[in-house]
Amino acid sequence: MQLTHVHRFIYRCLGLELGAWRDNYSADETSFCLAQPMTDDLPVVIDSIYRTESRRVFATLVRLLGDFDVAEEAMHEAFASAVEKWPVEGIPENPRAWLVSAGRFKAIDANRRKGRFQELQPEIAGRFDQVANINAARAGEEIEDDRLRLIFTCCHPAIDPSVQVPLTLREVCGLTTEEIARAFLASTATMAQRIVRGKAKIRDAGIPFVIPTAEELPDRVDSVLTVIYLVFNEGYSATSGESVTRGDLSGEAIRLGRLLVQLLPDPEVMGLLALMLLQESRRPARTTPAGDVILLEEQNRQLWNREQIQEGQAFVERALATHRFGVYSVQAAIAAVHASAVQPAETDWRQIVALYDALLSLNPSPVIELNRAVAVAMRDGPESGLVLIDAILKRGDLNEYHLAHASRADLCRRLGRTTEARSAYENALALAKQEPERRFLLNRLTQI
Amino acid sequence: MLLIYSPESSWTEDESNSCREAAMGICQEIAAKGQFRSASPLYPVATARTVRVRNGKQLITDGPFAETTEQLGGYFIIDVPNLDEAIAIAGRLPPAAKGTVEIRPLFHLENLPPERLTQRESLAGANDLQYMFLCYDDEAAWKQAGQDALHAAMQEAVELTLELDRQGKYLSASPLHPVATATSVQVRDGKKRLTDGPFAETREVLGGYYLILARDDDEALEIAARHSGARVGAVEVRRIVEMPGMKSISGGAVS
Repeated sequence: MQLTHVHRFIYRCLGLELGAWRDNYSADETSFCLAQPMTDDLPVVIDSIYRTESRRVFATLVRLLGDFDVAEEAMHEAFASAVEKWPVEGIPENPRAWLVSAGRFKAIDANRRKGRFQELQPEIAGRFDQVANINAARAGEEIEDDRLRLIFTCCHPAIDPSVQVPLTLREVCGLTTEEIARAFLASTATMAQRIVRGKAKIRDAGIPFVIPTAEELPDRVDSVLTVIYLVFNEGYSATSGESVTRGDLSGEAIRLGRLLVQLLPDPEVMGLLALMLLQESRRPARTTPAGDVILLEEQNRQLWNREQIQEGQAFVERALATHRFGVYSVQAAIAAVHASAVQPAETDWRQIVALYDALLSLNPSPVIELNRAVAVAMRDGPESGLVLIDAILKRGDLNEYHLAHASRADLCRRLGRTTEARSAYENALALAKQEPERRFLLNRLTQI
Repeated sequence: MLLIYSPESSWTEDESNSCREAAMGICQEIAAKGQFRSASPLYPVATARTVRVRNGKQLITDGPFAETTEQLGGYFIIDVPNLDEAIAIAGRLPPAAKGTVEIRPLFHLENLPPERLTQRESLAGANDLQYMFLCYDDEAAWKQAGQDALHAAMQEAVELTLELDRQGKYLSASPLHPVATATSVQVRDGKKRLTDGPFAETREVLGGYYLILARDDDEALEIAARHSGARVGAVEVRRIVEMPGMKSISGGAVS
């Protein structure tokens, strides 16, 4: 991050040393006490605040200023100003509020300066007031989370779905355009273009920065759920690069999911939150300290987070009890069945296959078929699963999907068909992009 | 700006009348909030003419700029704070249930004469007919031509409006934001459906409009040919159906 270098440089010039500030700052706190002297690890603190707070500050600035680009610039100016002022004035009691107010001030100031020269500025100035008025009028009836507001804006149904997701990841979650492009196996230029198009649409078509009213909510929530789950998955299994998980993004998605449940306790909203919690509960068990993948049946189940499992299971039950559930609730139910098995051998595969049947009827997809085939293999033996996987591959639907080949390889291995297993692992390896997954496949290949 | 597309042939006389009545009611409602600027049905697309100017020569073709299964039958120009309010209004218009309402944000252009919509009766052209010009452009071509060329063309268009204003023939005009900012609204089975983008994907897209007064079709076509965009794109000329009740609404908007 560029800012880091700026901090390092400034603090080296000031002769400040790195110290123990990091321990004093917890991401969950919006403010923190000044128990330590100012001379310590300020750059690390500012970095840490940048990581945890910059998107919140940005979201609030978007609401206050009504324009993405103006807000982005203001947010960076606010942090630059913090780098300058905090060493002298001390870290404010509530850094987020300080940054928002600094950013807002900078933007209004910049607008005033530009206003004399640019004709279009009155329009932006008008938007400042308009947005402030709308938000003030609605503030009482909605929860005050600006990032949720921003999510609804980025997922507005007047924005093409292919634009909603990258826009949300960029603006709400702060992913870089490169990261988003990698996550979706698209070129950076394509993603940059979509993000620019999305921002232009919001600005010029006047998509408001508000949380939809109660009557609009059900229609608006579907695209928001899709986007939140994509964000979770980006954090849970980043599609490429060194580390298999990025907990911060998943945590972010869960936080957004919780807020949405508060706002709209709809079965699918609960289902999505449950699904994310149940998957997240396995995080400590799914990789080795070296970052290698551990399969579900080989995971140390003692490491699973019981608290998240209980919370997830409770939401699954609430969702299923409504009888109006959809794909997220069913997937969460599958995860919940796994979570209730203390040993892999205790897994109720009959129930899992039945849930996959339900899932397929709600949402026919070759990836779900593949998962069902694996569950059938567990219930009836590898041969039955293999027949199903071969049928899927024969249709050509999943030829480019590394997990289809890896699953086939695994079943062949169990059946002692070594040559077939080897060539399937090789196919999978050629398609896998993530380092830990590649290591896992290589490992399996050498073990045969 | 709301552009109302629907299959012309699908309306019975009764439906047409009740649609106009409903639209009038919505106009009154919008006017009461001070958000109304203008709205009218257009004469059927069979009366449309399209003007292009190439190598200094006027090429006039009968019919609209593009042949589509749904035709532009009317428009609304409203001042609302955001897209959601525009969508809410679009969704209530009866044609949204049969066809498509395309929402296009207006591009704020300095130096245009003030709108004369409410002063129609006192203008020199008071006894003339009312026309709408729909200006179609190739956005990619303008991008290639560069900012300077675009500004020059816009300035030329502003000059034309100023001249028409001096002659008492100008009512309103505005460029639109690029077509990428369009939102299309349809209502089917009582549910609103939104699409990111215009009603029809065409290479040349609606980039602006004029509302003017002219003695007859010939004069309207002559004026249309003077729009700078006619040399690279096309201008569709449509006569406006002047609704007797609309006058009071327009008047009410100012008071």
